[in-house]
Amino acid sequence: MILSVLTFLPLLSALLIVLLPTAWQQRYKYITLLTTLVQVIISIYIYLNFADNQAGVTREQGFQFVEHRSWIGLDLGSLGRLQIDYFMGLDGLSMPFMLLTSVIMFVAALSSWEITRNLKGYFALFLLLDTAVIGVFGALDFFLFYIFYELMLLPLYFLIGMWGGVRREYAAIKFFLYTLFGSVFMLLVMIGLYFSVNDPVTGNHTFNILQMMNPNNYTDGALFSQIANQQLFGIPARLLAFIILFIAFAIKVPIVPLHTWLPDAHVEAPTPVSIILAGILLKVGGYGIMRICFGIFPDAAIHSAWWLGLIGVVSILYGALNALAQTDLKRLIAYSSVSHMGFVLLGVASVTAEGASGAMMQMVSHGFLSAMLFFLVGVLYNRVHNREIANFRGLALIMPQYTVFIMIAFFASLGLPGFSAFIAEVFSLIGAFNSQSINGLLPRWMAVGGSVGILLGAAYFLWTLQRMFFGQTRLWGGEEWRTQLTDVSVREKLALVPMAALALVLGVFPSLVFDKINTSVLEFVNHVLNK
Amino acid sequence: MTLDTPVVLTDLAIAAAILPLLSFLVTGLFAKPGKGAFLAILTIAISFILSAIVFSQTWNRLDIHQQYVWFTIGNTSFYAGILLNNLGSLMLLLVSGIALLVHIYSTAYMKGDAYLHRYWAHLSLFCFSMLSMVIADNLLLIYIFWELVGFSSYLLIGFWFTRDAAVQANKKAFIVNRIGDLGILSGLMIVFTQFGTFDLQQLLGENGLIINAFVQNGEWINGVHTMPAVWLTVAGLGFVLGAIAKSAQFPLHVWLPDAMEGPTAVSSLIHAATMVAAGIFLLARLFPLFNDTVLLVIAITGTLTALMAATIALVQNDIKKVLAYSTISQLGFMMLAIGIGQYSAAIFHLTTHAFFKCLLFLSAGAVIHEMHHVKQVAPVDFDHQDIRNMGGLRKHMPVTFIAMLVASLALIGIPLTSGYLSKDAILISSFEWAALRGSWSKIIPVTALITSWLTAFYTARLFFKVFLGKNRWRILSPEGHIHEAPPAMRYPLVILALCSTFLIFSVNPLLYEDAWLLRGFPAVESLERINIIHTVIPALVNLLAILIIYFAWQQYARRDKTIFTNRGFFYDFAFNKWYIDNLYQAAIIKRVLNLAAFVRGFDRVIVDGMVHLLAKVGQALATLSAWLDTYIVDGLVNGVGILSKSIGNFARNMQTGKLQHYLLITLFIVITFFIVTYFSLAI
Repeated sequence: MILSVLTFLPLLSALLIVLLPTAWQQRYKYITLLTTLVQVIISIYIYLNFADNQAGVTREQGFQFVEHRSWIGLDLGSLGRLQIDYFMGLDGLSMPFMLLTSVIMFVAALSSWEITRNLKGYFALFLLLDTAVIGVFGALDFFLFYIFYELMLLPLYFLIGMWGGVRREYAAIKFFLYTLFGSVFMLLVMIGLYFSVNDPVTGNHTFNILQMMNPNNYTDGALFSQIANQQLFGIPARLLAFIILFIAFAIKVPIVPLHTWLPDAHVEAPTPVSIILAGILLKVGGYGIMRICFGIFPDAAIHSAWWLGLIGVVSILYGALNALAQTDLKRLIAYSSVSHMGFVLLGVASVTAEGASGAMMQMVSHGFLSAMLFFLVGVLYNRVHNREIANFRGLALIMPQYTVFIMIAFFASLGLPGFSAFIAEVFSLIGAFNSQSINGLLPRWMAVGGSVGILLGAAYFLWTLQRMFFGQTRLWGGEEWRTQLTDVSVREKLALVPMAALALVLGVFPSLVFDKINTSVLEFVNHVLNK
Repeated sequence: MTLDTPVVLTDLAIAAAILPLLSFLVTGLFAKPGKGAFLAILTIAISFILSAIVFSQTWNRLDIHQQYVWFTIGNTSFYAGILLNNLGSLMLLLVSGIALLVHIYSTAYMKGDAYLHRYWAHLSLFCFSMLSMVIADNLLLIYIFWELVGFSSYLLIGFWFTRDAAVQANKKAFIVNRIGDLGILSGLMIVFTQFGTFDLQQLLGENGLIINAFVQNGEWINGVHTMPAVWLTVAGLGFVLGAIAKSAQFPLHVWLPDAMEGPTAVSSLIHAATMVAAGIFLLARLFPLFNDTVLLVIAITGTLTALMAATIALVQNDIKKVLAYSTISQLGFMMLAIGIGQYSAAIFHLTTHAFFKCLLFLSAGAVIHEMHHVKQVAPVDFDHQDIRNMGGLRKHMPVTFIAMLVASLALIGIPLTSGYLSKDAILISSFEWAALRGSWSKIIPVTALITSWLTAFYTARLFFKVFLGKNRWRILSPEGHIHEAPPAMRYPLVILALCSTFLIFSVNPLLYEDAWLLRGFPAVESLERINIIHTVIPALVNLLAILIIYFAWQQYARRDKTIFTNRGFFYDFAFNKWYIDNLYQAAIIKRVLNLAAFVRGFDRVIVDGMVHLLAKVGQALATLSAWLDTYIVDGLVNGVGILSKSIGNFARNMQTGKLQHYLLITLFIVITFFIVTYFSLAI
């Protein structure tokens, strides 16, 4: 029940906002903020009551806060019974994202103060997006998952396309088509899976993701049966399906070369949407790869691990080099996201406990840190409507507190020990290095190559610090800017402090995350390695 | 409660490390501008007292190891803990002691700075990182504090953040150190993969995993885990790379001279017991991991660095730059000691060097402090750190003069100083080491010997130019007056000067083998004592050194002009720091930036271009299908309409209403019917 409340509470609030008269539009943001605050409280409750000794991943018994009801049961005659369940539940792979999503949504709500146009539409879409994202992380029925997954697209398209920057329409359509391209094919795989898998209890075909993970539930000779080993277009069907699903999620992550929607979307999106994009949406990709791609097609995942690791390393280095060359601060951070998410792929592809834990940690950590970074860029942009690195200099003198937050965010992002990203990146790399000895999936040079990304990370962040924040103050906009560039306000601090604190706390006490996910991660690794 | 129980001692050590963190947090979060000194000094003083207790209770006793589970991943638990052995507790004492003196000195030196509270906060963070690193019990923790040391040095080097040079220097320091960090990270990954633990005692203790692992048939074997043997070397080289970066060794030494942009008190801390010492400390900690190849690399790097830095120091004119290069050179000696298997000698030299180098910097700071005042009243602008503008300060700053004298003698390694003992230990050991090896290995001790003479020259040059000769600053600033340093700066100098003599290290001022510190560490590689070396080398070194000092005195104290012309290839080569910075700028930094720009273009034109191309193709297809739709598909539909319309028209036109027409058509049909029937029957 609690999971449904968490999921649909924003939807109710969205309805409320739609129904309230426009004369009250200044209160919409408070409704939104309150909703997200309640979500944070519920998520904390879930976190505290989450038993860390239950694995989940493949068996329904191991999931917690489960809600499993029959939803659509349609008799299709000779085709059997259409069985779609409302099946939600949490395990160690999804629970951290509930908390992450709630906190990021809260921060994004705080950052929505900057929105001035068409507030009713904005906040209704914002809350709709909230429901969709929470739903994606909770859903365990593929059909339900797909609905939530597609539902995310719609509000995002409008949020970027209507409240964005100058080239917002271009960015929105690019984002939309890119993501849709991935998910259309996902639909085909989903249907193929449906007709391959039988619910052992009812005998019907099923969309249940957990039952898709068990090779015994596949019909003899079915398209995606492991034993039948069918071919499609000359490629093993399961491998093809894995690749299609991977591409669908990889676009979200994003990986090189499917990443070019990201810088455009970020640059054009309003700050709160950037925060949501970087903080949560990218994690949907990583989560989908773990839960769906690796979960349902472990054999194909093992088969492709080398390539996934390579893509991870390429993303790390390519993203970092690109970040080094950017002149727009927001673009720089967008590319740093590409680089940091590469560690996730590298860690997951290693299929080791260290790598997978590191990847999970990296997603959580990057969630907070990228949200913080984009929030900080938003602070600057709101004041002077400019983000060119070259136009600022010596900001530390006029915005000392802002500079402190920037330094925390930058150093945490570049992997300074004491912050969560350090633990995450180190263990992603250790897992990748370890892989050769444990399961032989990734060669050792990949870990060494990936670690160069850490060096480049230091280079682009420190260079930016030097150029924008230190030295004598010199601004492109002159005295006018100097008066506009006030230090961070109380509301902004309210958003920044929790994120900085979380990054620090998780860096010093990583067990807060690792303890909760460890059993599930082990189960995940064993499942993929078929142990 | 007795003090010598392990639990109490580890608690004390933890407290000693954590207290500066407390100061950092309180000062950083709450202090008003200009405040924070009291708390910082109080915490570091308590740290020092606790360290002294810990040291007295652990020196030459059993190791104390206490650990707690930090987090668990998979089936592996990662611990955080304290390891107190001779090396750890000695470093704890040394770091907190030097730091305390620097803190006291800073109260006078930094007086009046607008951002003083930040200074104290950052200094405390620095001490916390360094103190924690030396007592950490596993590689992961060491790595964490190692990076934090780098981070706090970043903050301190860039303390005057409005100066461009300072900000570029701290960026450089951090990034160069990051290169080393990658080495350490690689080492960590290899060690963890092979042994499944980061714990130092499990890895390196008696009967530790590393000692029991062995190489056979090109495989590095630890129980069931094996790895190609090359990874053992790579792991060692990785840690060495880290040490090279942190301890400013060739070719990653470039950050240290630039780091002089920080306050001088900070420089003295970085150069004495913290930061640069970390690299030597790490190598000493991990000594059993290194195989012969790695040790040789360490020895060669150290020797080369020592020589290089000494040659550069010969021609520098900035007082802090000379000292910076002398640090690099001395660290090279320590590396050399580790490379030849005498890490005890390295630690000994680290300790003596900590005192006299700190003293050199603090004295230089006192001089710079006064020169700065002189400059403020001067009619012309001049570089107050340039030794060419100093001279004759002996009469004005007698205490500083004596302090600097003691420190310089220790740096050169003249008998009765601490430097004599530790440098002799390294030089003599290196000759003994070479005696066991081929003739080519003589290059190393001989280079070290030459370097120690170069040291004598540049040290003497610096000292004479600053304190003797004419008062050159008078010409630039006739109104200027130079005074002795204030008490808060003076007393640390006196204490450090006492610590730079042989007194606290050995009862015998001439024989390093009697030093208690040296006996605290096991001789890792037993060298055969060659008696003749123990008498000839010190005699040779000192005799020539004294001649060199006399020569320098003649050149720099007695005359205005020297015989040196400041021209020629060697001068330029040394003055331009062996062109290493230029090389990096041209060969690495530029290329990386060009690569980044290229990648950016590639991303925009090719990768995004593909997306746009796809969009264009989609649009073209859409246009095509729109055309098809209009003219073919819709054309077909319209065609059907037109067809039926014309059929309709045709039928309609038949309804003429004229009887003759109808009869004609009826006749036509009947005839047709009969024809068809007739012919179909025939078939």
